[in-house]
Amino acid sequence: MIEVKNISKSFGDEQILKDISLTFEQGKTNLIIGQSGSGKTVLLKSVVGIHKIDKGEIILGNEVYSAMNHKEKQKIRKEIGMVFQGGALFDSYSVYENVIFPLRMFSKMTKKEMTERVDFCLDRVNLHQVNDSYPSEISGGMQKRVAIARAIVLNPKYLFFDEPNSGLDPKTAIVIDNLIKELTIDFNTVTVINTHDMNSVVEIGDNIAFIYHGQKWWTGNNKEILTSDNTELNDFVFATKLMRSIKG
Amino acid sequence: MEFFYHIGKYLLFLKKVFKRPQKRKIFFQNIFFEIEKLGINSITIVFIVSVFMGAVITLQTAYNIEVSFVPLYLVGLGTRDSMFLEFSSTIVALILAGKVGANIASEIGTMKIREQIEALDMMGVNSESYLVLPKIIAAVFSYPLLTLFSMFIGIFGGYLAVYFTNAIPVDDFVYGLHYYFIPFYISYSLIKMVIFAFITATIPAYQAYFIKGGALEVGKASTKAVVYSSILILFFNVIITQILLS
Repeated sequence: MIEVKNISKSFGDEQILKDISLTFEQGKTNLIIGQSGSGKTVLLKSVVGIHKIDKGEIILGNEVYSAMNHKEKQKIRKEIGMVFQGGALFDSYSVYENVIFPLRMFSKMTKKEMTERVDFCLDRVNLHQVNDSYPSEISGGMQKRVAIARAIVLNPKYLFFDEPNSGLDPKTAIVIDNLIKELTIDFNTVTVINTHDMNSVVEIGDNIAFIYHGQKWWTGNNKEILTSDNTELNDFVFATKLMRSIKG
Repeated sequence: MEFFYHIGKYLLFLKKVFKRPQKRKIFFQNIFFEIEKLGINSITIVFIVSVFMGAVITLQTAYNIEVSFVPLYLVGLGTRDSMFLEFSSTIVALILAGKVGANIASEIGTMKIREQIEALDMMGVNSESYLVLPKIIAAVFSYPLLTLFSMFIGIFGGYLAVYFTNAIPVDDFVYGLHYYFIPFYISYSLIKMVIFAFITATIPAYQAYFIKGGALEVGKASTKAVVYSSILILFFNVIITQILLS
């Protein structure tokens, strides 16, 4: 479990996160949703430790992650897998080299064991015969899957996804959503997904937190979100014609 | 004030760069990779620049002393000392600041805007040390070798110039090359190049590492990297020359 307690974050004079408290459960897909500029990416990056919070606490498991020094955080980060918005694959490395990278850096496995683990992870994300391809040679959906394979290769306890479906067609987005859901259950991870894709919200939103102007505005699940009477949330959820037609 | 802010930030950046590498095997692999990229891949440009510099120095010196009573062998001596003292280190360093500096800045800058550096940090990798330290070591190791190569090729360029133009007799040129040779000139040039290599590797890395934004900022960082590296090379050239040759 991850607990976020009363965190605030400012950049200069602008306060981005205002006293946010949330709980992300293990074995469930925890979604952070909100409009562009609402602060959800800052929230995600604060939770993983990329941004240093001004106030509050972030507790990973039983440890206060936000109070750790750089060295202690580096240790914990080996238990965290993160998929960035654009995939953040290393351009000069092949698919195989990208996925094996964390193992080469942090595991004591033999080369054979590492190769087996990479093959397992690539197989798990349904990628075959692309080991020698470079990121620029594969599609956006495949890049996301490689990034997911790299994120799970060290068997993490915590998985973070920053807008995993951005730039993907709806069909591929569903494949990625289902994959994230399966991995969360299979690996029993605490999975936190930052998204504004309503398909993802409806499909895999076990726990949902709606961030509005840097504040936690609403929490619930994918069933409750469709029947909520929260005005700001409804403006966001039912912004498209398609979603309004679902509401009826 | 901004100048001192950047000096401080640069020194803190270097402190992180010089942290102990996390995985020695990967670190050495990266060094060899960078030696190939920064050093071996620069051989062609160094060859072209050096051969023409040597030829031009030789021809200019020869035409300038044509009507005087200065001995002709001084053309060889002038070519040798010009290459050894200045051209094979400073000019080659300026050329490399353009080629390698822009390369480092664009590589690290692109990694930064595509969140690849954040991805490294997220994995628990010390990104500063992982990305920059192998480049520094590769540059400090390979640039002096490129300087020696440039010295040899520059003199060869001068030899070709007198051979094909008959500006002076070839024998006089060769005699001048041997005349009053001071071995310290080579050490002086190599010492300079080690410092220039450090500048050429760290300034572009620093410029690129802290960029925010998109492709436009990567371009700006590359330009700044080349300009600042070149200015620092020229500045330290004066300082080192004063220290070592005074």
